Amino acid sequence: MNGARAASGAEGGKPKPGSGRSANPFLRALRRFVRHKAAMIGFAWIVVIMVVGIFAPLIATHDPAAQLAEPFEGPSTAHFLGTDDLGRDVFSRLVYASQVALRASFQIVGMALVVSLVLGLVSGYAGKSVDYVTMRVVDGMSSFPPLVFAIAIAAVLGPGLGNAMLAISVIFIPGLTRLIRGQTLAVKEETFIEASRAIGTKAATILWRRVLPNLASPLIVQVSVLLGAALLAEASLSFIGLGVQPPDASWGQMLRRSYDFIFNHPWHMLAPGIAIVLAVLAWNLVGDGLRDSMGHRSVRAPRKVRKGARLGVTSVRRDEPAAGAPNPAALLSVRDLRISFATESGPVTVVDGVSFDVAPGEVVGLVGESGSGKSMTSLGIMRLIPTPPGWISGGSVTFMGKDLLSLSAAELRRVRGKDLSMIYQDPMSSLNPAFTIGNQLVETLTLHTDLRGKHAWNRAAELLDMVGIADPRVRLKQYPHELSGGMRQRVVIAQALACQPKLLIADEPTTALDVTIQAEILDLLRSLRRDLDMSMIFVTHDLGVVADICDRVIVLYAGQIVEQAPVDELFRSPRHPYSKALLKAMPQVAGAGERLFAIPGVVPLPAEFPSGCRFGPRCAERLPECGDQPIHLGGIPLLNEVRCLRAEQLKEAQLG
Amino acid sequence: MGTLILRRLLAIVPVMLLVSFAVFMLVALIPGDAATTLAGGANATEERIAEIREEYGFNEPIPVQYWEWLRGALVLDFGNSLIDGRPVMESIGSRFPVTMTIACVALGLGVVVGSAAGIVSGMRPGSLSDGLAILGASLGMAVPGFWLAMVLIALFSIELGWFPPGGFTPLTEDPVEWLRSLVLPSVSLGALAAATQARQLRASLIDVMNSAYVRTAWGKGGTPVRVVGKHALKNAAMPAVTILGLQLGSLIGGAVIIEQIFSVPGLGTYLLDAVLALDLPVIQGIVVFFALIQVILMLLLDISYGLLNPKVRAS
Repeated sequence: MNGARAASGAEGGKPKPGSGRSANPFLRALRRFVRHKAAMIGFAWIVVIMVVGIFAPLIATHDPAAQLAEPFEGPSTAHFLGTDDLGRDVFSRLVYASQVALRASFQIVGMALVVSLVLGLVSGYAGKSVDYVTMRVVDGMSSFPPLVFAIAIAAVLGPGLGNAMLAISVIFIPGLTRLIRGQTLAVKEETFIEASRAIGTKAATILWRRVLPNLASPLIVQVSVLLGAALLAEASLSFIGLGVQPPDASWGQMLRRSYDFIFNHPWHMLAPGIAIVLAVLAWNLVGDGLRDSMGHRSVRAPRKVRKGARLGVTSVRRDEPAAGAPNPAALLSVRDLRISFATESGPVTVVDGVSFDVAPGEVVGLVGESGSGKSMTSLGIMRLIPTPPGWISGGSVTFMGKDLLSLSAAELRRVRGKDLSMIYQDPMSSLNPAFTIGNQLVETLTLHTDLRGKHAWNRAAELLDMVGIADPRVRLKQYPHELSGGMRQRVVIAQALACQPKLLIADEPTTALDVTIQAEILDLLRSLRRDLDMSMIFVTHDLGVVADICDRVIVLYAGQIVEQAPVDELFRSPRHPYSKALLKAMPQVAGAGERLFAIPGVVPLPAEFPSGCRFGPRCAERLPECGDQPIHLGGIPLLNEVRCLRAEQLKEAQLG
Repeated sequence: MGTLILRRLLAIVPVMLLVSFAVFMLVALIPGDAATTLAGGANATEERIAEIREEYGFNEPIPVQYWEWLRGALVLDFGNSLIDGRPVMESIGSRFPVTMTIACVALGLGVVVGSAAGIVSGMRPGSLSDGLAILGASLGMAVPGFWLAMVLIALFSIELGWFPPGGFTPLTEDPVEWLRSLVLPSVSLGALAAATQARQLRASLIDVMNSAYVRTAWGKGGTPVRVVGKHALKNAAMPAVTILGLQLGSLIGGAVIIEQIFSVPGLGTYLLDAVLALDLPVIQGIVVFFALIQVILMLLLDISYGLLNPKVRAS
């Protein structure tokens, strides 16, 4: 199978950039970091400061302590940045002070890190009373405003850079300790640690091998931010006279001198101030860059997509004019729908030329595994895919005679939630946790009907009653977290039905629920469909549900329709090998004691769709020519069609 | 909700005990003989050293010393200043309103400006306005407040003469002058708060805007104002509110230096004067007082967090 995939890739001609992802997360993070422009600018500046600090004697034009000229001379060729109150060369003092700035921040963070590692690891690993005491001490320490605490410690220790650094490192300990303890706890909970403890691995070994690698990425980010904060704190303490003592130069202490003469020479403070700002900014940029490269970085969409993108509405950027006329008799007519996404390796098309109709009163099933494009298709019809990263790159969606893809945001708002509404996959997260059920239901009514106040609340109660929720008046006043999963899904359904939609898109409405609730919700949808006479698109991976409720089935694979047929026909004689495999994988099909059939492999990622038959690499009936070129749909368009070279052949084989 | 408040109130007790012990132990950090150092170092008279030793109970064992000190601290009696001899708490009482005014105005500025920037950029990550907001926030994080203060003085006081370069006019004396004397200190102090608020709100707003319930809100036909202003912001505000306590803490810390630059007679100037003269009772008193303020603020924020989040309210 791997061979087949490799072969189809080779035939595709152009290897996609970046599709060869590195297996090592560290290398990947490093590569992203190197590509992160802002972070690299910050990093470069830190390198500059380091070089300047190390080679200060070579770079400085004068002795930083020598009083060579008149005080407060302006910039000249002899003194690039002029002279200070004692006639010393400002540029040379800045250069030497960069040594202090970097050394101080590294030492401060280093000291804090050593103490916090010990405290955090021991506290997180030992747990119980050790942990309790440590964390209370950490709580106590973080009750002080940090800078004030540092000032107080530095004050009693006495002025001087060493004492100031010690005082500052103390205020970094609570935060670092919490971070390290948290990560240690998290790793400790994981079973593999439990297991290795059971087989007698020494605690120190566990900590070293398991905790530290997990800790590395959050810690690296935190450290780079703290390095900037340390620099700032050192400058502050030197500014108030507790840090670096004259005649040594530090940026904060130079600022102090300028402050003393601010009325006569107001702009003398610019140079040291800018030096501090740039250095702190550089550390922060590096920190942000590290965070971005280690987490999930959002990908920038192409400019033409970003431009004019509106909140809450998927942008439509058709590559070519919409082809295929809509069916005027249909309630919904989707033609050649294409949906694209920006990814790190460039734009990919996740839904590729999907066409189908939904007649008034009809229930159409969209089936396929995860990644087949069924949810994307339904969200695309609603134009609910956020732009960026997604956009509709082609086709048309005609609903009640209007092309939804040509509507303005305001026009679309009048359709959404009223004639066209949707039930979402996850009832746990599709209700807003911060508002009551009643508030959210009434909101839908207010948006599309004239019902207000008491009338709206009465209608909301009716809706809850309709979806089988007892005590609707009580429920209306409750928050989503006070309801069970099944009840929440009923609320989501009630909300979708609030304005009596003509078409309801149900995206896996029962997947997140347990089996008995599933059956209840399906019964509910079936009876509602009968009573309200609406059309439905039923998105699911469960063919059992499809047989139960749908009139027609559309099988999607890797963003394309591979088969479309009336429900009886698909179940009786599926023609596409993928449909067959899906049917065979239904738990209901396997006899008692039989092993459940599973389709080998997974749906490829959009960037890796084969150029020939997309199911080819996983197909049991594959022929060599299947990988040659894209396969087209054959049969009766929009009614009974299949995307397979061998459809006829296999059908005959089945009949014969 | 009532039990939540009570539980949080009780949790303050051990924390404040720890805080008070840490502050008391500051005296142990003084290098050499503490009594000699406090009396003024090498040129201190024997009588003065003995006096200090007696006053601080340095002859007693540490637990007894702590107990004596804590008994005073419990009724906010931190002793008298070594410099002017006035009770520390009295000075704190008269200076605190000044510091609080500046910190609150700065926080207000920070929240308003920072929230606006955070909302604008969090709504459309990657856009031009987002880029500008991020740049502004990054600068706000990197600029030391005391340098910003100097730049503002140079520009608006010395060059333009719009605001006084220092001093503080009480509200009761002259409201207009009071406001003018507040502007520069609050802006220098509030810049960091604004930057922090903007970054925090941006991050949580981006999360929330990608959530399923915001999609539901769009799907029901919600307008951008309704979806962002109602559904997204109420949830995004929660993490932003939780860091407000830390924000005010760092504002009070920052105020210490800003006050000195503008010669504002607040707690900060009091602390820095005490720091340079090693006026221990004043240092201890102010640090405990600051910690108390911060702990109380955290409590208030916990409560407001409960009001925002129905899940917390219920439990």
